[in-house]
Amino acid sequence: MVEENILVDPLGLAIIVLLLTSFILIYRVIAGPTLPDRIVGLNTITTKIVVVIALLSVLLKEYYLIDLAIVLLLVNAVGGLIFSKHFEKEGER
Amino acid sequence: MIIEYTLLAIGLSIMIFGMLGVLRFPDVFSRLHASTKCDTGGAMSILIATALLIDTPFMIKVKILILTFFIVMLNPMISHAIARGAHKAGVKPEVEVDMYARDNP
Amino acid sequence: MSRVTFYLRERIEEIKSRYELERQESKKLPKEEKMILTWIIILIFWFIVSGEFYWQNMLVGGIVALIISSFMYENLTDDLRCRGSLVRKILFLSFIQIPQYIFIMIFQVVESNFRVAKHAIFLDIDPGIIRIETDLRSETGTTLLSNSITLTPGTLTIDVSKKLDKTYLYVHWIDVKTLNMKKAGDEIKGDVERWLKKIFW
Repeated sequence: MVEENILVDPLGLAIIVLLLTSFILIYRVIAGPTLPDRIVGLNTITTKIVVVIALLSVLLKEYYLIDLAIVLLLVNAVGGLIFSKHFEKEGER
Repeated sequence: MIIEYTLLAIGLSIMIFGMLGVLRFPDVFSRLHASTKCDTGGAMSILIATALLIDTPFMIKVKILILTFFIVMLNPMISHAIARGAHKAGVKPEVEVDMYARDNP
Repeated sequence: MSRVTFYLRERIEEIKSRYELERQESKKLPKEEKMILTWIIILIFWFIVSGEFYWQNMLVGGIVALIISSFMYENLTDDLRCRGSLVRKILFLSFIQIPQYIFIMIFQVVESNFRVAKHAIFLDIDPGIIRIETDLRSETGTTLLSNSITLTPGTLTIDVSKKLDKTYLYVHWIDVKTLNMKKAGDEIKGDVERWLKKIFW
């Protein structure tokens, strides 16, 4: 049921741009001077991936993927809270 | 039709500028500015454009709007937690006045 | 002589704030209204997430939402101001006040995005961490205010501290204009605090 070339669609172009920006943001995750910098990069990438999953579910007409996007967003929030508690106790390492 | 494509283009350019801000700003707190605001605004406009653009059952559009609402509510909370944790862990902010370090020695 | 009057005025201010706090404690919503509000919110969320409307689904959702709201009713609606009846409050919330809030926040978010884009291109930043004071005392109101401050242009909330029944927010401001607490508070909070004071304590 997939159309021939979904990437010609404007939403497909949006997916390509989002993936490119998240690929460039990996630089901040690898070369961040401290641990909070890396966490900031990871959170930014995850929000972009949530948008990509929502766009993909619309493009492929498989609507259960939106639930998956909501769950990924909640896991991202809990992960950010746990990391912040961690380096509040242990110092940045 | 024009409104949706304008919203999509604005969202994508906001995402690109947010990436530029995360790469170029000098310390954690300024990077959090770029990350939080640009991610929230860009995701909001892209998802609203998507919900207006597609022709699906009504509940799917409402679900996408609920996803937008969650992003708007949760993203500032994570940035707040990371900023507080980073300041308590000893990351020195490059600022001129720092009342938080003065009040909590 | 003048010092004595100054001291008296300070004492009167303190007693007034204590009186406000006591009145807040005594005028919370009754328990049934809290449970009904929580039940409605959880049920709306269940309908949107499940997305189907046959009767078994609605029955199971209603029962589970009732069980959850019977012991979680304090978390969500503890800080609402008590004013008028329940139906009037629900109508006011859903048709006047929440659209007002969305209308305020949309312009702020758009302006903050363009400001961050400008700062990212030219790198003309001048940051500082300053302290402002709010009139809100409840937990939910403070949370919503700090989220809104994070989304308004140029500011990011770092921490909240409560000392002597006053609430202070520490804000990272990306170009500091003034260090005065009142002026900075007026500049940063804007319309949002006036809106939030109508609903929360």
